[in-house]
Amino acid sequence: MLNYVWISLVVIGILAAAGNDIRDEFTNPYRNSIPLEGIIQMDGSPASGMKNIEGELRIPAGAFAAFYGLAEGQEVRQSVRIVPRDDGSSVITIPVGETTPAFWRGMARYGANKDRLTGIVRGISISESRATITFVLDPVRFVKLRAVTQGAFDAAAGAVAIAFGLIGIMALWLGVMKVAEESGAVRVVTKLLTPLTQRLFPEVPPDHPAVGAMIMNVSANMLGLSNAATPFGLKAMEELNKLNPKIGTATNAMCTFLTINTAGLVIIPATAIAVRAAAGSVNPGIIIGTSIFGAGCATVAGLIAVKLLQRLPRFRKDDPGLGEKEVARG
Amino acid sequence: MADLLRSVIDIISIIAIPLILTAFLGWGVVKKVKVYEVFVEGAKDGFNVAVRIIPYLVAMLVAIGIFRASGAMDVLTSVLAPVTGLIGMPAETLPMALMRPLSGSGSLGIMTELMKVHGPDSFIGVLASTMYGSTETTFYVLAVYFGAVNIRNTRHALPAGLTADLFGMLGAIFITRMIFAI
Repeated sequence: MLNYVWISLVVIGILAAAGNDIRDEFTNPYRNSIPLEGIIQMDGSPASGMKNIEGELRIPAGAFAAFYGLAEGQEVRQSVRIVPRDDGSSVITIPVGETTPAFWRGMARYGANKDRLTGIVRGISISESRATITFVLDPVRFVKLRAVTQGAFDAAAGAVAIAFGLIGIMALWLGVMKVAEESGAVRVVTKLLTPLTQRLFPEVPPDHPAVGAMIMNVSANMLGLSNAATPFGLKAMEELNKLNPKIGTATNAMCTFLTINTAGLVIIPATAIAVRAAAGSVNPGIIIGTSIFGAGCATVAGLIAVKLLQRLPRFRKDDPGLGEKEVARG
Repeated sequence: MADLLRSVIDIISIIAIPLILTAFLGWGVVKKVKVYEVFVEGAKDGFNVAVRIIPYLVAMLVAIGIFRASGAMDVLTSVLAPVTGLIGMPAETLPMALMRPLSGSGSLGIMTELMKVHGPDSFIGVLASTMYGSTETTFYVLAVYFGAVNIRNTRHALPAGLTADLFGMLGAIFITRMIFAI
């Protein structure tokens, strides 16, 4: 299952990116090779002939929006520089900064130079300290395919950053967990919840260290202590794996435990509340109840699903808990 | 009321960790555990586990990264939009529901954006934040947890996890509609 979903994400992603880029070739949202008109207000004395021109490019908001087909435009007031080349044409350079319209900033991101837009001047007429110019920006193409490449590299680097970020916090909580195990603190809680854990994980002996780690993980999750929950959860997976006769294949208990985790039952959804408060909500905590309900639905549905799915022949045939014969009898 | 709640949550999140540390380590001392030695013994696994999950995390996050960057979400949203109307789900929140199992940071971004546009106390704002709190980032959890023990055949964990996500989203829609009496 995961194999198919994984390859689907990659293939659908690349196809969608290619499709988007092909569509862009026809609709030309970046107006490749279409001239745009603007006025340059020069700082000092009027330049004579085709020397370097520096000044402020001005394009009215309406004209800018109409040109790119945007819902609302922003007046362009932007320093530019025009430099003549040997072959008689001139290059316009627009450095991209805070005051640059968002649309141009987006275009620059996919261009050859991230920090500026460049183009060719088609026509220029200078009077006093004002110059009226028409210019064509260098074409922007294959935006989504470039984004996909960038996205893949960023994600790969990000994955390693996440893993390395876990090292310290893992070590801390695994140390605490070990002390709690040795002192017997975990055993007390484990015993208390045995009726529940035996129902959920019938394959795991009630006093196995895996049970303690799972309880710690779920409790930490519920309290919203996600950086403690992950180390406990990984510890639980290691303990569950000690009961696994088939290396590399998930046991029923692991799948059940994973499902509880992916359902993410949290008593106080702190992140969502913080975002609501920051957005100026009069009642940021209103979602505590609704989230518990939603995550409760997720947990119950997930547990039902996991217990039903483990009986399906296609998942049952790989069950590490069953010998070859039992599978055949099915 | 809102301020009281916020300060309660603040206090909990501030004292929880020190409290847990004191309780566990303190109980260890009471039970005459050699706390330092035992702590170090447990902690030494931290590095190995973190390194072990790297290939799994790279595989998963790269696939999700490609999917997110491609604009496939927009396509998927427009395909599914007619269906969501039937269950009373505003089309604006569909990207949220689709992104939630894939990416924690992605869905956080969508939630923040929806609140900025529609207001945090609007139907859409409450629904989006409820959706965020109603399930976990299934693909990430799967990669990290199974990666830590080198499990490659994940059997029925993904379909079960996605079922949980689906019902979490449906539950969020149901309860939010009830609160807003729609």
